[in-house]
Amino acid sequence: MGGGDHHGVVTPLSVDVRGLGHRFASRGGHIEVLDGLDLAVAAGDHVALVGQSGAGKSTLLAVLGGLEPPQRGQVVVEGHDLAGLSGDELAAFRRQTVGFVFQHFGLLETLSAAENVELACTLAGVARQRRGHRARQLLDAVGLAPRASHRPPELSGGERQRVAIARALANQPRVVLADEPTGNLDEDSAALVVELLETLPGDHGCTLVVVTHNRALARRAGRRLVLRDGCLHENEPASPSTSSPGPAR
Amino acid sequence: MSWRDAWALAVKGVRRRPGRAVLTVLAVALASALLTALLTIAGTAETKVLDELAQGGPLAGIKVAAAEPDPGQIDQDNARPGPARDLDDAARQRIAELPEVARVLPVVTARALVVAPSQTPAGENLDPFVETVVGVDLSSSASLPVTVLAGRLPGPASTTELAVTQGYLERLGLERTEAAEVLGTEVVWGAGRLFPEGERSFVRGRWVRAQVVGVVAQEAATGSFLVPLAQTQAAREWTRSGPDGGAFLELASSPYSGLFVVAQGIDNVSRVRSQITAIGYSTSAPENLIATVRRYLHVVEIVLSAVGGIGLVIAALGITNALLAAVRERRREIGVLKAIGARDRDVLSIFLIEAATLGLVGGVLGTTLGWLVARGVGGVVNGYLAAQGLAGVQLGIPVVVVAGGVFGSALLSLLGGTLPALRAARLPAREAVGGA
Repeated sequence: MGGGDHHGVVTPLSVDVRGLGHRFASRGGHIEVLDGLDLAVAAGDHVALVGQSGAGKSTLLAVLGGLEPPQRGQVVVEGHDLAGLSGDELAAFRRQTVGFVFQHFGLLETLSAAENVELACTLAGVARQRRGHRARQLLDAVGLAPRASHRPPELSGGERQRVAIARALANQPRVVLADEPTGNLDEDSAALVVELLETLPGDHGCTLVVVTHNRALARRAGRRLVLRDGCLHENEPASPSTSSPGPAR
Repeated sequence: MSWRDAWALAVKGVRRRPGRAVLTVLAVALASALLTALLTIAGTAETKVLDELAQGGPLAGIKVAAAEPDPGQIDQDNARPGPARDLDDAARQRIAELPEVARVLPVVTARALVVAPSQTPAGENLDPFVETVVGVDLSSSASLPVTVLAGRLPGPASTTELAVTQGYLERLGLERTEAAEVLGTEVVWGAGRLFPEGERSFVRGRWVRAQVVGVVAQEAATGSFLVPLAQTQAAREWTRSGPDGGAFLELASSPYSGLFVVAQGIDNVSRVRSQITAIGYSTSAPENLIATVRRYLHVVEIVLSAVGGIGLVIAALGITNALLAAVRERRREIGVLKAIGARDRDVLSIFLIEAATLGLVGGVLGTTLGWLVARGVGGVVNGYLAAQGLAGVQLGIPVVVVAGGVFGSALLSLLGGTLPALRAARLPAREAVGGA
């Protein structure tokens, strides 16, 4: 695994992607969504992925999160070479190493907010009592302790996304992957969620990769990468990055 | 993920679409109810039919006559006996010692002059008549081919009670449905004995005044009156103690008129009959008739099981359909489950548990409903049987049918849920994320 160079200090790479290729079959042949994509993200970095619809942002996120096997190239996340993992190993990787935040929140409607957070712990085999404690702790951290027993339909969009963030953090992941986390939210709720996401690298010590169309959210990231023609292109950061500026390869 | 956690998730999954879940459970319940009701009714009908054939006695009952076997009649259900042969305690003992014999019950009959009420209920005159009184050990009535149609059996040691058969009712001009009318009436019966007085002889009776306490159907021996064994033995002794040894009154020399032998199970009847024949006595048992009837009843049961089974398979297909729809609807949810770390087998178990839960709940409801339906049908049948003057049916809880209904429903539902569960388990985790 390589490292990122930040002001002369080499930091370990959280995400190291080399020559990633991915294509979808279609009636007219194949659509090359990712084509020799390179990406290096230092541990604790906050990266925003932007690009037009259909550019392959969600596919890249799915590959990084072990939801989709890489078709070509090498993808190493927190030391795990995803191409070599079996189904169960990928599931373990998703349980322990990454946390997901989806545009559609991805909460189970039949479970309460606390139960949704607990579910991630349940899958990780955490003991029943510890799960409850962890869920309360995380819901408290996202300001939703009073809504712990409410089910998703009883929560606003912003609240649901905060529950989803709490769930993503349930097993203390090294990397949080957020796919359009503010896509379904109004401005105020989006601002709250953005603020919350921004605290993750600092408060939880995890790497944050956000796919977004939200310019404000993208601007606040340490690095902004544009996905175009199957490759990533570095954009000027809006604020000083806290991590390696390492080029998108 | 533990089974307990998977079960909790599955139950919440079921509650997600309560309407669909209720309809699916109802389909299973109805099929299970159909199967339970059909099998319970069929089972009860079989018991009733066989009970009628055995006249309330054990199916493995064999009548032994005080006669030699007729070689041409050995395998007949109602074998015609050969020449008379005394059936004494020694013979009784030999038969009792046969390996597959459970019980041996003696039957002693006595010819008697009967003085019934002088008028029938219809007002016609009724003269005294000669009839056979059958004596059996009434303390073992459950092992005898005796069915109580009205009232009760005489006490095993009673000297003042008797039961009558349909033959007596016919003599009085009564229908079977009017059996209760004779209860409480009195009958005087007496066995004769020859008394010589000079050159002439007189027959004098040993008279017994008895109250009719029951009306029965019985196959122990031919005769219209049923009394405790000691009464007919005393009557027989009275006749035999005459100077002619009872010859004038044609008293048979055999101490027992017959024996009722109970084999250890219906499958041993044939072997026991052969062994008794080898000892030298004529036997009869409705084994061929019972075997034939059982064969037909089993065919009926198979057909009814198939009807109920088809219902259950249709219900299981309903579960397959409902779960396939659920998998289609919950693709993203399944994707999310996988995205947060669920393994394929976790998803598989959640959906299998959903299917089994629907089947189990449907099975419990359906089996209960089916049994209630069977009870209702039993009530109607009992009403009809009572109107015909027949004993009603007793509807028990058939443990095998109940267990089969509940667990069979769950198992079939589990099978029905396998395809959707496999499909759910194989859904890619990518389903959690949309678009490119």
